[in-house]
Amino acid sequence: MELQAATDRRRALEAVLRDVIAECGPSLRVLSGQAERRAYETDALTAHRVLPGLVLLPADRSQVAPIVRACLRHGVPYVARGAGTGLSGGALPAESGVVIALAKLNRILDVDPDRLVAIVEPGATNLSISAVAGEFGLYYAPDPSSQVVCTIGGNVAENSGGAHCLKYGFTSHHVLAVETVLPDGTVAVLGSDDIEAPCYDAPGYDLRGVFVGAEGTCGVATRIAVRLLRKPEAVRTLVADFPDVPSACETVSAVIAAGIVPAAIEMMDNLAIRACEDAVHAGYDREAAASLIIELDGHGEECAELFDQVSALCSEHACTRLRIAADEAERAAIWAGRKAAFAAMGRLSPEFLLQDGVVPRTRLAEALAGIADLSAAAGLRVANVFHAGDGNLHPLVLYREADGQGPAAEKLAADIAELCVALGGSLSGEHGIGVDKACSMPKMFSPADLTAMDRLRAAFDPSGLCNPGKVFPTPALCGEARAGAYQPHPLEETGKIQRW
Amino acid sequence: MVGAPSSASTPDGKPAPNGTSPADGAAAASEPPASPRSITPTTVKDLRDAVSTVGAVLIRGTGTATTWGAPVRDARTTVSLAGMDRVLDHRPADMTVHVQGGIRLDVLQAELAEHGQWLPYDPARSEATIGGLLATGDAGPRRLAYGSLRELVIGATMVFPDGAIAKSGGHVIKNVAGYDLAKLCHGSLGTLGVVAELVLRVHPLPATSRTVMVRDVDTASAQRLTWALTRSAIEPSAVEWCEPEQVLAVRFDGTADGAAARAAAARSMLTGSLAELDAGEAHSFWESHAARVVAEPGDTVMRAATRPGIDPGLVGALSAWADRAGVKALLTCSPATGAYTVRVTGSDAKAHAELVKNWRASVEAVGGFVMLRRRRPGVDAMVESWGRAPGSVEVMRRVKGNFDPENRFAPGRFAPWF
Repeated sequence: MELQAATDRRRALEAVLRDVIAECGPSLRVLSGQAERRAYETDALTAHRVLPGLVLLPADRSQVAPIVRACLRHGVPYVARGAGTGLSGGALPAESGVVIALAKLNRILDVDPDRLVAIVEPGATNLSISAVAGEFGLYYAPDPSSQVVCTIGGNVAENSGGAHCLKYGFTSHHVLAVETVLPDGTVAVLGSDDIEAPCYDAPGYDLRGVFVGAEGTCGVATRIAVRLLRKPEAVRTLVADFPDVPSACETVSAVIAAGIVPAAIEMMDNLAIRACEDAVHAGYDREAAASLIIELDGHGEECAELFDQVSALCSEHACTRLRIAADEAERAAIWAGRKAAFAAMGRLSPEFLLQDGVVPRTRLAEALAGIADLSAAAGLRVANVFHAGDGNLHPLVLYREADGQGPAAEKLAADIAELCVALGGSLSGEHGIGVDKACSMPKMFSPADLTAMDRLRAAFDPSGLCNPGKVFPTPALCGEARAGAYQPHPLEETGKIQRW
Repeated sequence: MVGAPSSASTPDGKPAPNGTSPADGAAAASEPPASPRSITPTTVKDLRDAVSTVGAVLIRGTGTATTWGAPVRDARTTVSLAGMDRVLDHRPADMTVHVQGGIRLDVLQAELAEHGQWLPYDPARSEATIGGLLATGDAGPRRLAYGSLRELVIGATMVFPDGAIAKSGGHVIKNVAGYDLAKLCHGSLGTLGVVAELVLRVHPLPATSRTVMVRDVDTASAQRLTWALTRSAIEPSAVEWCEPEQVLAVRFDGTADGAAARAAAARSMLTGSLAELDAGEAHSFWESHAARVVAEPGDTVMRAATRPGIDPGLVGALSAWADRAGVKALLTCSPATGAYTVRVTGSDAKAHAELVKNWRASVEAVGGFVMLRRRRPGVDAMVESWGRAPGSVEVMRRVKGNFDPENRFAPGRFAPWF
């Protein structure tokens, strides 16, 4: 029986291959050898690995629709993949499925400096858009930490954020239209109808809004129209140290209560500060219980006025040291320290798990106290580095696999995510659900909520072949033991990307 | 995978109740009532019971957009959200507010203002309900800086035609767990579900708003000045241009000194007959600007969208077709976001329909669309409310079919598409 199923799957893949070669010609790159396919068996959530049956790399966006149609014709599941930096297993292949790797579709097709719009291919990296737009004094605002290598197509799938989305919003706020190969094999533009003349408004249901953040379950993007922003006239950055975590949390609330929306507010606890400082020597105070990095940007005088207010608020809330970046070099050093946190964790622990829960901003102190309690009870250390302005925590559960701490660490990580939900928050602020947190979805959503979402998924993908097994809890996934131990992605080991 | 529920049961597995209400306790009978009825639920459960009825359902907020899109056919039940008009939970320190779908925008703004906050959202219909504004996908001039309601909604509770009560999002401003059902309903015009509750991200109320007005700005100049603004770093919150008045209004929100500095920068950058309005003048300008967009019964109102910019060809075509039809066309344009609202007055239905048909062809030729928000009686028989169907219409049809298989919610609203 099982042997027959395996034979059927192999035949279906062969049929897909035959069809796509016939339709796309020799420019379509095909990876069918086991060693070649092995490189696509995981994304940055490396604990989950599934060897795909076939990897296809379109050389031209017109090749994507024939691939999807061939998969549909032969009942083969598929997943689109950008750089594979996702942290929730969203690009994990289906068994005997096809990976559509979009890395070669990486062109910036148009930048319009008046209309403030760029039209790009899905494999273009996040930072490459800003690099090209920068020639016109423009940039693309969402800034996930992996922006050097992560692709805009992956950002669209995950509705990626970043440190600066507190003020500027997420991917969803910056995408005007998405040309999509729908799971029925047709091509349609979601958002306005002409991808080359993207409009802010589109008639009917906001399908673009559904597609962005659907984790690749609603089709494959082939061209994306994004909004660009004018670079701010002024940027001011400070680091404020505090004698305890609650004081830092109160300062965050005070800044917000003063009616100020900073571009970013990041927080690190002592464990994270020490690790970063030892690794990078960014000038952080190793004795500080907590530090905030606060950045403001905007029109010159207004930015200066608000920055003075923020500095004063820090001082009023028991800040022990205030360091204001004197120039662009010092500002870059402060951010380099913050972004080195991942690499620095290796100094503290051989292994760690990363969570991505969100709590309402006013419950930050409570959440951190709760995490400390859970950490003490589990006998495992947790370092905290996070986007404080929007309540998006990134607790790092430190453990030693060699000491058999893996299962306890996984339980602690899941408990922290669910603590966030219990505090009125969310399982994920920016990494997505994927396979990683699918089993926790019933903690946040009722069966009726999930049924409504599944109806929506089915409207896009009646056949269920487009990135199956993601977002929604399935018996196959959630019946099994959790396999979550962290292993570094090759790009992280080389220091090209950071984890949060 | 999550199984599809039976359409005859509620999420907790109980048989779906028939529609009953204080207004019409006899509606549980299998025979349809002889005349349309109206129900005004006050809780989500009442709302669920109200929509779990037989026959077509029309959702109503304050009734400011009942004419948007194509006319609804044979609505047997009107469900009014007037009884669901409360703030459920305002958390000023979190900058979030949880409201029922039937709260009026102006009422909500007044409540937020007491805490120095606002929803940075200024559609012309300030008396409309927040749920209705989401369902109509409406936006005002300040969308340029703050986005539309779709960017401000962080959580929603929907009631679907089968009585299912479903939530998405939550109370946190950053959240990627699950699909975004609130966005699905943006622009759905009551055809998918009822927006029972929303959680919104609010912003600090800016200390000051300043408006710079440029007069005698023809189409080409309006385009040039708009690009000068988008190429600068002075961050206007709104740029609006009106024809035939040919005025360009530019708005700045911020701190007292900051907004003044940016308005001054605009005055030195722009050319032409310039003036900064005082607070009273600015207030009356923006009030009349909103009234012009809303228009009056007997008018026809077209809403068009194109890529950002003022297309001189489209503006020229509008006045040429209007002249030929013998009607007056008042254009309000948000050039930096490519939104056009045209109020048509004078002459008769045939002339209005002719203008809609002709100008729609011009707009569609440049990749845009035109829908009707209002029409003079008789226009419907001569021209469709929606033009060329978008390429994604098949997905919209399947969405509609999956959520409302019996086509009960606002049937006909998207005719002729579905």
